[in-house]
Amino acid sequence: MKVLLMGHPNVGKSVFFNRLTGSNAIESNYPGTTVDYTKGYMLLENKDVEVIDVPGIFSLEPKDRAEEVSVKMLEEEKDAIVVCVFDASKIERGLYLALEIIEKGYPVIIALNMWDVATDKNIAIDVKNLEKILGVPVIATTAISGEGIAEVVSRIGEASPVKIRNIIKNAGD
Amino acid sequence: MGEYTMAKLYFGILGIVTVLFGVSELAVTAGGTSFSWGILEIPNEMFRGGWGGFIVLFAGLFYLSSLKNFSEIHQFSKAIMGSIMIWVVAGLDIFAMITESIPGEEGWFNSLGGFLGTYAPPYTPAIILLPFSLVVIYYICKRKAS
Amino acid sequence: MGLSVDERWDLIDKISKETVTFGKYKHTLKDAVGELTIKPLTGIPIAIAVLYGLWSFFGSFAGFFTDGFFVSLFDEHFLPWIQSVFPDKGGWLYYIFVGDPLADNCFEAFGVLTSGLFIAIGVVLPAIIAFYLILTLLEDIGYMPRLAVLIDTILHKIGLHGYAIVPTILSLGCNVPAVTASRILETRKQRFIMMTLLAIFIPCGAQLGIMEEVIPDTMGYVLIYLLIGYFILGFILNKIIPGKSPEILIDVPPYQRPMLRNVRRKMQMRIVGFFKVAIPFVLLGCAVVNILYKGGVIDWLANVMSPLLSGWFGVPDETVGPLIAAFLRKDLAVAQLSAIPMTSYQMITSVVLVSIYFPCVATFVMILKEGWKDLLGSVAVLAAVVFLYGGLIHLIGILLGVA
Ligand SMILES: Nc1nc2c(ncn2[C@@H]2O[C@H](COP(=O)(O)OP(=O)(O)OP(=O)(O)O)[C@@H](O)[C@H]2O)c(=O)[nH]1
Ligand SMILES: [Mg+2]
Repeated sequence: MKVLLMGHPNVGKSVFFNRLTGSNAIESNYPGTTVDYTKGYMLLENKDVEVIDVPGIFSLEPKDRAEEVSVKMLEEEKDAIVVCVFDASKIERGLYLALEIIEKGYPVIIALNMWDVATDKNIAIDVKNLEKILGVPVIATTAISGEGIAEVVSRIGEASPVKIRNIIKNAGD
Repeated sequence: MGEYTMAKLYFGILGIVTVLFGVSELAVTAGGTSFSWGILEIPNEMFRGGWGGFIVLFAGLFYLSSLKNFSEIHQFSKAIMGSIMIWVVAGLDIFAMITESIPGEEGWFNSLGGFLGTYAPPYTPAIILLPFSLVVIYYICKRKAS
Repeated sequence: MGLSVDERWDLIDKISKETVTFGKYKHTLKDAVGELTIKPLTGIPIAIAVLYGLWSFFGSFAGFFTDGFFVSLFDEHFLPWIQSVFPDKGGWLYYIFVGDPLADNCFEAFGVLTSGLFIAIGVVLPAIIAFYLILTLLEDIGYMPRLAVLIDTILHKIGLHGYAIVPTILSLGCNVPAVTASRILETRKQRFIMMTLLAIFIPCGAQLGIMEEVIPDTMGYVLIYLLIGYFILGFILNKIIPGKSPEILIDVPPYQRPMLRNVRRKMQMRIVGFFKVAIPFVLLGCAVVNILYKGGVIDWLANVMSPLLSGWFGVPDETVGPLIAAFLRKDLAVAQLSAIPMTSYQMITSVVLVSIYFPCVATFVMILKEGWKDLLGSVAVLAAVVFLYGGLIHLIGILLGVA
């Protein structure tokens, strides 16, 4: 089993990765910090699980060399569990990429990162409802303080592929 | 409106003085000899006098441009920025003093007299403006409170 | 089976309507101050102030360690000691490791253990620490994207866009990570322009540090020549290289308070990187140049290259030694130049030449990793630039009557 971190640039994937694996991936407050993949390991149920941090992408159509790295990684790791990291204050963008990945048939788990920023901006997200509609685990996180990371780890096992049809149906009612 | 008359007056005067300081720094640098008057010293140096003077000048312009509609948040932020620019120049002038004061001419460390002597006047315009620029903090707190 | 783009956005609309509520959000003071840094009229003076801060801190910090302590440590204590204890004065090993037995300062000794260690530890290390400290703070606060927005229009003229400021600024620390950072540019044309400009015209932190120490008065001219060259070459490359330079929308993240933990970790990584990559090459560079001197190769080369060096560029023939060192490390090369007696015109020109004439090995290898075709292209451009730009500077010198 492998875990792949995917998401837009500057949503906190590298912070997340460092928290999970104790590595030293570079974190900076500008999009495009990570330009190559980094691999690390975390302990899950007493097993070493490989975690991969990749450059941020906007969609599965890469615009530049850094994004190509991510898309290629996703294609190569067919059996990976994808942790989609969102910027909770810009949830629509995150959903776009997450849906694309779900459509490809990957088991997905969603981290609504930067939860603190969303709260500051008075954005309220109904996490339970979102989870019900999407059919995948959704967790509010604040990677810089570590909030929610443990829950993401404990629920990685729950991730399983979902059909886009079901999401459309759930969103309808 | 009346509440901020005091502030406007203060930052108006500070703005004018700051602009004058900035302009004289540029003039002194262009002129080629350093200038000293009382506790004020304007270095004749491309970097501190020229570049630094330019920033002081702009800090003054920031103050002046904040006066109209001072209580409005976007206008007030210009006064804050004016102060921040003075803090940058003054802070680094002070940092430069500190780094000069510690090592000695002969022997590793400076003598106590030499150490303290570095901090004696005259000072650069930005350092003289520094205490006056801090007043902006009072207004930030006042805003937060209301 | 997949959704079309529109269908996907429709679905997202539905989902977010059901799950997200946007509360009222009032502009805070922090937002208002942040906005000032991005509007050109206010943002440009602020950027100039930030640059001033960077420079002033860099000078004071590096000066404190280098002039305040390391110079006397190395020149008054370490140099006499090693000159006296190293065995076999006059032998080969002595020449390579200690250098000139009569030298009274570490710049002129030229040995691996004298000049090499002094340059690496005494001069460049403090400079690198100062530079990276500021760079790390700017990165973590989130100033870089603002700078990108401010400079967007200008960089479009050279076929790039605002975001190219990121590799450019990283390059002021070290060209190596900057070459990889140019991957964030969209087209092959942009990446080629970026890598070539970085390799030729952007001096690295180590080089800036050594210039600040040995040629503080004339360094400004060197930087102006490099800056002008950056734009001229960018402008020309943009015109002659086929390919597109797309517009982009720059995403500006909110400002953040830098976290001590992250700053410390990044500093540590960058400094360890410096020790691992830079120091061995500085020492190696000293050794290689000394061996070449001893073997008479440098004198021979100086003779052969004389028409180019003194004829075309107007610099002393002895600069050939530093030019060889510059293959390995630019900081070493500049330090060696400073030991050669020259007029200030010659010093400016030769430092510019050392900067532009070849990327150091580490950068060379990085560009190679990005693709050998680009590397060949860059080297071809480079050869032309060195020849023409060097000649141009000489011409300017002649016209001003200083050459
Ligand atoms: N307030 C807040 N900031 C966060 C959070 N997570 C990360 N950050 C900050 O967001 C910035 C970006 O983090 P990174 O981990 O470098 O982002 P990334 O997703 O790896 O970005 P790319 O490598 O460019 O794709 C950093 O300045 C972090 O400190 C969070 O939960 N809350
Ligand atoms: Mg990253």
